[in-house]
Amino acid sequence: MERFWNKNRSSSRPLSPHLTIYRWPLPMIMSASHRGCGLVLSAGVSLFGLSALLIPGNFESHLDLVKSLCLGPALIYTAKFALVSPLMYHAWNGIRHLMWDLGKGLKMHQLYQSGVAVLVLTVLSSLGLAAM
Amino acid sequence: MAVFWRLSVSCGAKGARALFLRTPVVRPAHVSAFLQDRSTPGVQHIHLSPSHRSGGKAASLHWSGERVVSVLLLGLLPAAYLNPCSAMDYSLAAALTLHSNWGLGQVVTDYVHGDTSQKAAKAGLLVLSALTFAGLCYFNYHDVGICKAVAMLWKL
Repeated sequence: MERFWNKNRSSSRPLSPHLTIYRWPLPMIMSASHRGCGLVLSAGVSLFGLSALLIPGNFESHLDLVKSLCLGPALIYTAKFALVSPLMYHAWNGIRHLMWDLGKGLKMHQLYQSGVAVLVLTVLSSLGLAAM
Repeated sequence: MAVFWRLSVSCGAKGARALFLRTPVVRPAHVSAFLQDRSTPGVQHIHLSPSHRSGGKAASLHWSGERVVSVLLLGLLPAAYLNPCSAMDYSLAAALTLHSNWGLGQVVTDYVHGDTSQKAAKAGLLVLSALTFAGLCYFNYHDVGICKAVAMLWKL
């Protein structure tokens, strides 16, 4: 692979347009989103862990700071929804991935059906959890 | 063109692993002219990336480990809600950081090319994961812990 990349990088040939000219199928969008959500969630967990080590003050004091901002309930619900939806999407799509690993649901129509199911479940579970 | 694949992996010279594809391939004649068949007709050599040099067994175990931790983490989410406790906090911290580390490792493998760059990226990733885990354990020990923290945040 290293030879492949070295040869192609040094040849400075133009790259044929692909992402900009072909339609993006749903499985492709969902796969990229799965990775994107994973990256965001990992960043969040790392930020949380690192700030526990580096930032002074305990969790309760930080929560009190947020409480003192007196944010409206609509904004709080939106924030909770924004926090929980990448987690829900990644979890439901993760189950879909694990099904594929078992060899199930790999036909084209099943791909689209399970994909839509994941999207619906994500929205419903995110709405529900944010309301708790 | 109907192609049936059957793979058998064997070690090649100079550490590069060669994949022998035994394919009863039906392909047009002009394509055959470009593909260099070696010893036996219908057998092609494909060289895998250096990361596969370390042995199929280790890679296979890693793959299985990834799935096991994924399932474990999926189970921990409702379990932590139904039974929040200190053990759950530490299990979540471990599963979360391990899943995250392995997931980010796949991203690095996909987008970081070159031996030294990849090694450096993986090393940096390991440091980040270790620090994250340390931070979460610190939080679990000295502060309210992950389960309680989520509950407190949600009561906001």
